[in-house]
Amino acid sequence: MRNTLIFFILALLIFSGCSKDDDSVFDQAPDVRINEAIAKADTALKGAAYGWNARIVTSTGSIFQFHFRFNEGNRVSMYADIDTTTAGTARESSYRLKALQQPALIFDTYSYLHILSDPDAVVNGGEYGEGLKGDFEYSIDTVAADSILLTGRFNNTRVTLYKATQADAGAWQNGEWRNALSFQYMSRILEYFKRLPVNGTTYEIHFNQLARSITFLWTDGAGAMHSFTSAYYYDSKGLVLARPLNNGNAGINTISSNGWDATNGVMRVSVNDDLPATISGATKPVKPDLDAPTRWWQTVYQQDSYWVSLEGFHVNGVDDAFHVRSIPGFAFLLFWPAFGSQAGVTYDLQGYVSQAQGGLSLDFGSAWMPPLFTTDGRIIFRIYGTLGDVPVAATTAFNNTNTVLADANGFYLVQTGNSRYDMVSARDARSWITWER
Amino acid sequence: MNRLKIYIFICLLAILGSCSKDQPENVDNIPGLGGDTWEPGPIDFWIRDSLTTPFNITAKYKWDQGELEFNRTLVPPKEEKIIPVLSAIKKVWIDNYVAVAGDLFMKRYSPKFFVLVGSASYNPDGTITLGTAEGGRRILLYVLNDFRIRGMSDYVPQDSLNVKEMFHTIEHEFGHILHQTVLYTPDFKRISVGMYTSNWNNVSDAEARADGFVTAYAMAAPDEDFVEMISMMLTEGKGGFDVIVNSITGTSPNGITAEEAKNRLRQKETIVVNYFKDTWNIDFYNLQARTRASIVQLIR
Repeated sequence: MRNTLIFFILALLIFSGCSKDDDSVFDQAPDVRINEAIAKADTALKGAAYGWNARIVTSTGSIFQFHFRFNEGNRVSMYADIDTTTAGTARESSYRLKALQQPALIFDTYSYLHILSDPDAVVNGGEYGEGLKGDFEYSIDTVAADSILLTGRFNNTRVTLYKATQADAGAWQNGEWRNALSFQYMSRILEYFKRLPVNGTTYEIHFNQLARSITFLWTDGAGAMHSFTSAYYYDSKGLVLARPLNNGNAGINTISSNGWDATNGVMRVSVNDDLPATISGATKPVKPDLDAPTRWWQTVYQQDSYWVSLEGFHVNGVDDAFHVRSIPGFAFLLFWPAFGSQAGVTYDLQGYVSQAQGGLSLDFGSAWMPPLFTTDGRIIFRIYGTLGDVPVAATTAFNNTNTVLADANGFYLVQTGNSRYDMVSARDARSWITWER
Repeated sequence: MNRLKIYIFICLLAILGSCSKDQPENVDNIPGLGGDTWEPGPIDFWIRDSLTTPFNITAKYKWDQGELEFNRTLVPPKEEKIIPVLSAIKKVWIDNYVAVAGDLFMKRYSPKFFVLVGSASYNPDGTITLGTAEGGRRILLYVLNDFRIRGMSDYVPQDSLNVKEMFHTIEHEFGHILHQTVLYTPDFKRISVGMYTSNWNNVSDAEARADGFVTAYAMAAPDEDFVEMISMMLTEGKGGFDVIVNSITGTSPNGITAEEAKNRLRQKETIVVNYFKDTWNIDFYNLQARTRASIVQLIR
């Protein structure tokens, strides 16, 4: 008892001996410090006479180069290497600095930066609902004299701002970046398949301009298929692979554009700065995916579901060549395997869905006999009949689409995503349609 | 006696006068207190002059995550879309109500706060949300970046769906404010009694109509039914509503005949029209004609 008492008194003494000093370890109150930090960041942002170069790495690993100039009145003007428009035309929007958990820089109306975050896949080719996982709300991590480090608050995008020189700003304003992005000439190659022969290997290349990735497909001496995908970014000369392609002794680090060769219809490029090469069109894949047509058909057949195309056919370099999107009320095209049967034939439906009062409606379409699957990886469609009444306004689009689809050479199918296929005409690879779910 | 009063008064003075006059310490300039600020530009002036000054309505078009859901990927609107959207809202919704009910009515009852978002809100079930509202005060409008009306260079006919859907949302929410202010007759709830269901999202509009509801969402509750009626009748116009009613054929799985479904929709229509007349002294058919005409101007 006495011991307890002694301990109790001792404990009391020790605790009451603690210092009561509750001065902050900082010399200023939190609000004062955050106001200072914001003012400092704002001064730094506006202080760069030629703006800032920004290197943006999204959470998916895509790398983009931007150029920002922060002006008075919460305005920012920017260039971006997303496409030739964003690289060639400055766009002004607004920004503000805000005290969130950390001082934050918010691009608060739509700008080129928001293209990366837009949840509409039509804008950036990403997934619906998440886009390319960019950010436009950043916490300001460090502010140094000639660089600022930002981290995206939503998707952890990493941004490094470097103070730009007059030459840097000029490279954007004078269109050098737009030219570096002139892989737009790729679209002059009308064929779906594009080939780049380097050091004795012929690579089939697929660009995803917006996801900033490039895929090389090739077969080795033994005929085995190889595939290599890397993120890429631009510098003011051309395209740089984030991860170089290593194929035995021959590798690929950079590809820069040397312009379009109109005579031969090919694009001249330099590989690794000094090795001249050409990118040209091809009518078939280096090695067709033999199972793709059956896989494409079976996937939706087993679920009694259908494939959707929002744009219809791309023909000879023209998107939606048959103007299906101009059909009044048009929503999408669909392909529905084994839709129904008539006279003993279970037919597939290629239908036209339109927006009707309060919902979607499937009004007309063409019926196709069960497709033929060839051993060399093609699918061939044969027309069976017309379902419903084709409105006058849709007749041309309907007939043209049927003509392409009924081509006796059939189609190759190229899987480009989990539930996404490109169906490419085997006749000349100049017509294709994207099916997705 | 007087002297006593004076003593007490002096005493009081002394006591109160001795109160500490210390200013509270450590009150700093708290960042963001009173809302975000920026240098106002042309859009801010337009909102102030066209909406805030006459109707005490404001619109937030700059990004503020705090106004929105945190588990959605969204983007702010394009600056060039904001004035077209807001002026369309003014023409279709505000101006028409002002014309038939007077501007005092509008100033008193209109929702006061619009939040504008550039993209749609993509739901995990594959649907997208085009607009929401809460408490009769705040309305969120999505998909501003796809807002195209007749006369814009890239307008295509299916854009009319976005435009109509936007006004559907606004008229719907405004309908809630009206019936929350003065309730409609209980007769309305008896028309489709027993058929309201939380399972409305698995019902198509066509199926709902066969049961005597104007949209699937109208099956959610009598209040929703009432405001969906208002909203559909206003945005589709009298002709469009008649088309909806007359399109009903066959007997629904719930045993409602086409005749009965049409009859129920007509009963609801009558109650809505009488409610506007008796409660707000508004000629509903006049409002309907005006609203539909304004929408048609935007989409045709």
